[in-house]
Amino acid sequence: MSFFLETLLGGLMSGMLYSLVALGFVLIYKASGVFNFAQGAMVLFAALSMARFSEWIPGWLGMDNLFMANVLAFVVSVVVMFAVAWLIERLVLRHLVNQEGATLLMATLGIAYFLDGVGQTIFGSDIYKIDVGMPKEPVMMLESVFEGGILINKEDFIAAFISALLVLALTVFFQKTATGRALRAVADDHQAAQSIGIPLGRIWVIVWCVAGITALVAGIIWGSKLGAQFSLSTVALRALPVVILGGLTSVPGAILGGLIIGVGEKVSEVYLGPMVGGGIEIWFAYMLALVVLLFRPQGLFGEKIIDRV
Amino acid sequence: MFYRENGQFKTSYQSDQQVFPIPQDRWVILGIVAFAFLGIPLLVDEYLFRAILIPFLILSLAALGVNILVGYCGQITLGAGAFMAVGAYAAYNFLIRISGMPALGAILLGGLTAAAVGIVFGIPSLRVRGLYLAVATLAAQFFCDWAFLRVKWFTNDSSSGSVSVAEINLLGWTIDSPTDKYLFCLGILVVFSLMAKNLVRGSIGRQWMAIRDMDVAATVIGIRPMYAKLSAFAVSSFYVGVAGALWGFVHLGSWEPAAFSIDRSFQLLFMVIIGGMGSIVGSFFGAAFIVILPIFLNQILPVIGGLFGLDVSIALVSHVEIMIFGALIVFFLIVEPHGIARLWSTGREKLRLWPFPH
Amino acid sequence: MNDRTITERIAFHDAIATMEVDFSSLTFADAAQVDAIYDDIERRLAETGRRWYFLVIYTDCVIVPQAWERFAERGKKANIDHGLGSVRVGATAQTRDAIRESAGRDFFRANIYDTRDQAMLALGEMRKRRRDAQSAAEDVFLRVQNVSLRFGGVKAITGVSFEIKRGEITSIIGPNGAGKSSMLNVINGVYHPQEGTITFLGNVRHQMRPHEAAMQGIARTFQNIALFKGMSVLDNIMTGRNLKMKANMLQQAFWLGPAQREELDHRRKVEEIIDFLEIQHIRKTPVGRLPYGLQKRVDLARALAMEPQLLLLDEPMAGMNVEEKQDMCRFILDLNDQFGTTVLLIEHDMGVVMDLSDFVVVLDHGEKIADGTADEVRADPLVISAYLGASH
Repeated sequence: MSFFLETLLGGLMSGMLYSLVALGFVLIYKASGVFNFAQGAMVLFAALSMARFSEWIPGWLGMDNLFMANVLAFVVSVVVMFAVAWLIERLVLRHLVNQEGATLLMATLGIAYFLDGVGQTIFGSDIYKIDVGMPKEPVMMLESVFEGGILINKEDFIAAFISALLVLALTVFFQKTATGRALRAVADDHQAAQSIGIPLGRIWVIVWCVAGITALVAGIIWGSKLGAQFSLSTVALRALPVVILGGLTSVPGAILGGLIIGVGEKVSEVYLGPMVGGGIEIWFAYMLALVVLLFRPQGLFGEKIIDRV
Repeated sequence: MFYRENGQFKTSYQSDQQVFPIPQDRWVILGIVAFAFLGIPLLVDEYLFRAILIPFLILSLAALGVNILVGYCGQITLGAGAFMAVGAYAAYNFLIRISGMPALGAILLGGLTAAAVGIVFGIPSLRVRGLYLAVATLAAQFFCDWAFLRVKWFTNDSSSGSVSVAEINLLGWTIDSPTDKYLFCLGILVVFSLMAKNLVRGSIGRQWMAIRDMDVAATVIGIRPMYAKLSAFAVSSFYVGVAGALWGFVHLGSWEPAAFSIDRSFQLLFMVIIGGMGSIVGSFFGAAFIVILPIFLNQILPVIGGLFGLDVSIALVSHVEIMIFGALIVFFLIVEPHGIARLWSTGREKLRLWPFPH
Repeated sequence: MNDRTITERIAFHDAIATMEVDFSSLTFADAAQVDAIYDDIERRLAETGRRWYFLVIYTDCVIVPQAWERFAERGKKANIDHGLGSVRVGATAQTRDAIRESAGRDFFRANIYDTRDQAMLALGEMRKRRRDAQSAAEDVFLRVQNVSLRFGGVKAITGVSFEIKRGEITSIIGPNGAGKSSMLNVINGVYHPQEGTITFLGNVRHQMRPHEAAMQGIARTFQNIALFKGMSVLDNIMTGRNLKMKANMLQQAFWLGPAQREELDHRRKVEEIIDFLEIQHIRKTPVGRLPYGLQKRVDLARALAMEPQLLLLDEPMAGMNVEEKQDMCRFILDLNDQFGTTVLLIEHDMGVVMDLSDFVVVLDHGEKIADGTADEVRADPLVISAYLGASH
C-alpha cells in the first residue's frame, strides 16, 4: 500500500513538472492562437542560460556568494528570455499574421530547432549543473500512518508548490487585468483584435515573455533535478499529451492533465509495464491523448471546437 | 531563352493531359533520367554513392510519400519515421519467415503493411485536424518506437531491436556493390514517381487537393472525406514504408529502431516544407537539400571558422546545421510557402523568356 | 310529412361526382325521422361504392331543435363515410346559425350559399383543388415541411414549409439574417433540422450528409465561393465530375486504359460546360488569381458538372456589376431551358428575382411570411412592410 502511495506521489510530482511546461503551451495558445512547439526549446534555452550564467558571473565579477550569483543569473536569464520573445515576434510572428494553424505550427517547429542549435552553440552542449539550493535529500514522512513511512522527495515537493503559485498568479493575470483581456481577444481573432486597436505586436511580445518566464521557472526546476542538457527539449514532447488531455485553452486543464498523465505514466509503468515488456512510459501519455482526441477533441476542460460553414 | 511555351498548341485532350505536355520538357527529363541510369555510374566513385546518391534516392521516395499526405491532401504528420520503421521491419519479417521470398517482394509487402498501419493511424484525421492530428501521428511514432524495441517477435528476438539483412537478390542479380544498389533504388524511384504523378493528376489527386483546400465544399460536391483522407494515408504510408524497407535493406544493411526515430519524422517533414508542398519535383529538391546540406556544412564551416581563427568542432557543425534548418523552415514558410519548387518554376519561366521581360 | 320520397330527392351527377340532396320544404320533427331519412341516403350511397361531393338544398327546410343534434351527427357520419366535401344552399337564418355553430365545433366548413349556382361554383373550386393536390402528391420534386433549425439558443428557421416544382426557377428572398442560407444548407444536408422533414423526389430524408445529397442530384454554389484555391479552373470543374468517375486507384496510378478513357470523356463534358459559361480563356488559370465575377462563374460551372437535378444557388449575383448580372441571368435561364435543371436561388436584387422566378418564397426572421408568383409576392402587404419598403 505504501508502495502504491509512493508511486502515486511520485507520479503527482512529475506530473506537476509536466504541468509547468504545459502551462507555457496553454498561455501562448490562449493569447495568440498559436501552438508553440518551441516551448520545450525555450525551457532548454532558459535552463542553459541560468546554468551557464550562474557559472560565468562569479568568474566575471570575481564574487563568491552562490546566492548572489544565482540571483544575478536569474535576472540575466529573464532579460535573455525577453530578448528571445521580442526577436520571435519581430522576425517570425509579425509576418505570419492570420495564417492557418498548420503553418504557424510548422513555423514554431522551425523556431524550436533554431533555438536548440543556437542554445548549444552559445552555451555549449554538456550537462550543466543548476544549483539553486534545492534540497536534494528525500525525507521519510507519515511514519505513524503507514508502516515504514513514505519516501517523499523534498525537491519535488517544493517544485509542486512553486508551480501552484505560478498558476495562481497567471490565472489572476488573465482574468482580472486589462492586458489579460486583450490577450484573450487576440487569441480569438488576430485581425478583429487588430481592428479594434489592440497592438498585436506588443501583445505577442508580452505573451511570449510570460511564456518565457514560465519556461525559465520550469527550466530551473527540471534543470536542478536533471541538469541542464539537450534532452530537456524533448520535454516539450512529453508535455503535448498533457495539453490535449486538459484542453488547449484551459489553465486548470493543464494542471489536472499534467497530474493525471504523471500519475498514469508511473502507475502504468509499474503495474502494466512488466506484462508487455516494460518501457511503456514512452507512449502511455500519447495513447491516452489519442483516445481523448477521438472522443472529446477539446479535452477535459477546453472549449468546444466549432467548424463554421 | 532556349524554348518557349508560346506557339505550342495542343489539338487533342490527350496531348494536353500528358505529364510533360511541352516536348522540350519531355526531352530534358528523359535525358536526365538516361544520364542518371547510364552516365552517373561511370562518373561517380563509391563514396558519393554511399554518402549522397543512395540516401538521396531513398529519402526522395519517402519525401514523395509525405508530400502526398501533407502537400496534396493537407493532413499533417509527424510520424513518418514510424511508417518507415513499419516498412523496414515488416519487410524483414517477410524475408526471413517466408522461405523463398524475393527481396523485392518483401520490400513491397513491407510497404503494404505500412499502408495498412497508415490507414489505422489515419482514422483520427476523420475527426480532428491540425495540431490534434499531429499529436495522433506522434502517438504512432512513439508506439512504434516502443514496439520494435520491446516486442520480441518483430525483431526475431533480437535483444536490442537491431536486425540485419545479408544479401538482396533480384531475379538472380545480386545487389551488393554501390553501383548495383544505386541502380536498384533509381529504378524503384522512377517507377514510383511516375505512379505518383499519375495519381496526382487523376481523379484521386483532385479529391486530395479538394479536401486540402476546402473540405466542406468537397463533401458538397460528393467527395467522401473518409475515402479521400484514408486513401491519402494509405498511399503515403506505402511509399514511406517501401522507402523504409529500402533504407534498411539497401542503405544500412543492419539497423535498429533508432534509425527511424522522431528526428527522421521531422527530417521528412522539413524536406517537404523546404522542397515544396504539393509538388512532385519539390520532394526531390527537398531531399537533395537535406542530404547535401550537412556534408556541405562539414566542408565549409571549418574553412569559415579558420578565417576567423575559431576552432570548429564536429559538435559545433551539427549545432549550426540544426540552427540553419530551423531558420530555413521559418524563412520558407514566410517568404515562399511553396518551397524551392516554386522558386525553381518561377526562375525557369523567367529564364525561358530571357532576355525579354515578358 | 313530405310529398316526395327520399329516392326522388336524391340525384347523382356522375360527371362531377356530386350527389344532390333536396331537403327543401322538409320538416325534421324528431330524431327518429332524421334517422329514417339518413338511413335511406346512406343505403343509396353504400350501393354506389364511391365517394361523392354533397350538394344539399335547405330551402324552407325546418329542423326542430330536438332533432338538431341527431341531424348533425348523421350528417357528419355521412360525410366521413362517403363524402368528399359539402356545399349547402338556402338555409333559413336559424338553420344557418345552427350549421355554423356545428361547423365551428367540429372543424368543417359550413359552405352555405344563397343560390344553387353559387354552390355549384364553389363545388367546382373544391374539385379543382383536390385534383391539384393529387397531382402534386405524385410528383413532389422538393417539399420542405415544417422545418425548424436552431443553433443553441438562436432560432435560424422556424416552421417553414414550401414546395418546389420540377423544372421551375424558385427564389428565396428576405432581409439579412432571415435564414435563407441556412435553408439551403438544410436542403443540402450540411445542417440537420431539429424538426420537420425534407422530401426530395418522393423520398423523405433523415439526417442526410452533404455527399449523399450530392449523390441524389443536389448541387450548390456558395455565397463565399468555396473554390479549391490550389487548383486551376479546369481541375476545379473536373472535381465536380468526381461522382461519375469509376476507375480505381491502381488503374489511375498506371494510367491504364479505363482510367485514361474516363479522364478524356469527362474532360469532353467539362469542356462543354466551359463553352456554355464562356470561360475558355481562363481554363488553366489557378482560381486564386481570378477576379470575383469569374470565380463565381467557375463555382457555377463546378456545380453544373455534377449534372444535378436540383441546383441551389446562394446569392449568385452578389458583388457583380450590371453586365455580369445580365450574363449570369442569361446562364441561369439557359441552363433551366436547355438542361431542364430545377433551380432554387437566394437573391437580393429584386429585379433579377422578378424576372427570373416562377415562384418566390419570402422569409423573415426564420419564418415564411409569403409565397407565390413574383407578382403575388410583390403585392403582398406583409412582404412590403417586412422587406420591400417602397413599391418596386
